Amino acid sequence: MVARHPLKSLTVAIAVTSLTACSSGGDSAQANAERATGTVTENAVIKNYADIAYANYQDALTTAKALNDATDALIENPDSETLKAAKEAWLASRVPYQQSEVFRFGNAVVDDWEGQLNAWPLDEGLIDYVEADDYQHELGNGGATVNIIASTEINVGGEALDVSTLTPELLANLNEVGGSEANVATGYHAIEFLLWGQDLNGFKAGNGERPVTDYAQGEACTHGNCDRRAAYLDAVTDLLVSDLEWMVAQWAPDQDGNYRSELLAMESGEVIQKMLFGMGSLSLGELAGERMKVALEANSFEDEHDCFSDNTHNSHLYDAVGVRNIYNGQYSRVDGSTVSGPSLSDLVAKTQPELDKSLKSELDASVNALEDMKKSAEAADGMTFDMMIAPGNDKGAELINTAIAALVKQTGSIEKASAELGVESLAPDDAGHTF
Amino acid sequence: MTGLKQAAIRGLACAVLILPGIVSAQDESPRQQWQKGIAAAYSDLASTSQSLANTTRRYCQAPSDAGRTTLVDSWRKAYTAWQAVRYVDFGPIEQNSRAWQLQFWPDSKNLIARKANYWLGQDAPVTADQVNSDSVALQGFPAMEYLLFDQQPAKRGHALPEAQACSLAVAIAEHIQTTSQSLSDDWAAFTPHYVEGEQYTATTVKAALNGVEIIQDKRLAAPMGLRGNGSRNGYLADAWRSGESLTTIKASIKGLQTSFLPGAVTLLKQNDQAKLATKLSRQFERTLKEFDALPHALAPLLETDDGYRKLQGLFIEVSQLDQIINNNVAPALGITRGFNSSDGD
Repeated sequence: MVARHPLKSLTVAIAVTSLTACSSGGDSAQANAERATGTVTENAVIKNYADIAYANYQDALTTAKALNDATDALIENPDSETLKAAKEAWLASRVPYQQSEVFRFGNAVVDDWEGQLNAWPLDEGLIDYVEADDYQHELGNGGATVNIIASTEINVGGEALDVSTLTPELLANLNEVGGSEANVATGYHAIEFLLWGQDLNGFKAGNGERPVTDYAQGEACTHGNCDRRAAYLDAVTDLLVSDLEWMVAQWAPDQDGNYRSELLAMESGEVIQKMLFGMGSLSLGELAGERMKVALEANSFEDEHDCFSDNTHNSHLYDAVGVRNIYNGQYSRVDGSTVSGPSLSDLVAKTQPELDKSLKSELDASVNALEDMKKSAEAADGMTFDMMIAPGNDKGAELINTAIAALVKQTGSIEKASAELGVESLAPDDAGHTF
Repeated sequence: MTGLKQAAIRGLACAVLILPGIVSAQDESPRQQWQKGIAAAYSDLASTSQSLANTTRRYCQAPSDAGRTTLVDSWRKAYTAWQAVRYVDFGPIEQNSRAWQLQFWPDSKNLIARKANYWLGQDAPVTADQVNSDSVALQGFPAMEYLLFDQQPAKRGHALPEAQACSLAVAIAEHIQTTSQSLSDDWAAFTPHYVEGEQYTATTVKAALNGVEIIQDKRLAAPMGLRGNGSRNGYLADAWRSGESLTTIKASIKGLQTSFLPGAVTLLKQNDQAKLATKLSRQFERTLKEFDALPHALAPLLETDDGYRKLQGLFIEVSQLDQIINNNVAPALGITRGFNSSDGD
């Protein structure tokens, strides 16, 4: 919905944590020995967290590069095959990216950056043509219908902007133009719109049906400005790649001055808090709340996360997988290999084996509930998320509500685990306070 | 010692203090005070909503200018009554997204217009069942506001008291009435559980804190363009269609002062924080005083420097209120916050 910036009041602080040993975790044999003997340290868990982030963003980058290649091929030779390949590359790129969303909340370096990659919902009339009759956008947004692709100059909020040459830099500057968060010019959902087009099927089956001739050059071009549409797609995919390159570098090991080095130098309790805060915020407020409950209760396909492609079930599933990755300290890479090491689970299990067990099974239950949603969406004659949220669709509502309930439940245990690890979401540090 | 544990221990102390038989009428526990305040607020919501349903039916049966004025007035009263108790985010309000049923907000995609227009465009009169099973965006005060104040229904030939608009307005008003009455009844049923439940002390303080933060960040900062690189946009405020954005904010703060503050003062005093109790009370007064110089509508104030300065004055007082609860009151009571449903982006 509207809010794109975490509220400052949710900035969380941490109660004093007792620091013990400072082993750096080291190789996996050492790590395994530590886990077996219950001597896993917070620092080892943090290092593994950074390793997972690094691998996860590398995968996001690899798949974004494949997407960039596929869209280049589409632009070069627009036909049904190249369009299909580009869509498949986009779908594949969502798998690692969505898992990385768990790093957002708590790590400002990610949160300040992600608006350029995954902002939604968008007023897509900013970018390209839209159906005139039934296009709903944020009221008061001067950019909602400017159509950058059809224009060499746009005017948003009284400010005239030259958009004659579409470059990655220009698009980055146009994101949130005019101060509206609905003016999403860049990122996965802008690319999704450029590949699929508006989904005009409402609650019925079917997703966007953009004709490939929207990229045909010359006479065959549909909806006009095919050269500029191609230039937009080219620039926006280039920008996605360079943005992800930047984030990979932030998590790369042994580099002075990047975020990873900063993170590893922080007090360990502060980082543990970031990990748990990311898990809880993504589970409850974001995934269960903004991305499922709002859409369901308001019967609003405008509030569907991947509304052009109807890939929402996968985006939800991989968010939940991302939360589980952090707790279990384990990430399955796109090449099939695994990054694994000391985990929050190990830390909790040291003193609260029962809580650890229930949280683990709750994280599995959420993933399973979203697997059920995926199964329903991807079956022949399947029910996609925008069909599940239709008024009166009890079966769809049940699938979504089951997932919401599972996420709510795991959030409760994440809070308990936080308390167990000495983390408080709001500093209750009243010692020495004067009034 | 962690804050949670402190809260638990303090809770025990409170339990000892309020043993039946020891307590005189003047020595109600904080939760008893809150319970009564919230019960009164829900009761007010139920009765004003009843009146809204009545005036809607009456106006549609026999339209007149006077009837229209009465209808608008009863809508405003009921909506104001809801604002007063909007901060309560626990208990019966949690069932079936009742808060959204009464007010779906924020509405970034103008869903209220989309849903209302769909029903205005149907041939058969709208039934209560149809409204009950449709989107929360159709069920509450903002959808009524759309029918009463927006120009769009008229452009579609459905300005009140046109028949289809009337059938929709009556169905919505009756839905609001039913929801409000259920809230009031369910709160009464919830009362023993609430008064007995130690955990509801922290829950209530957190609800007040969230309520103030939503006023600060979403109801004021967002339309004022103070979030991120945002620009000023009056449509991001609530009740912009009726020009009552500031009326509703005032009602919410007044509601906190009426139903939350007395219990909070008692609780602070029990924790030897009498000075802080006074500070909190004064900040409520200071914040409410800001409205003396303010009109009902927010959007026009965004257009002029003088108007914007007035809004800034209000924003500063609301921020102060937020800081006192967040930085002073909650820590003094050992109350910590967990994740909540507005943690998302």
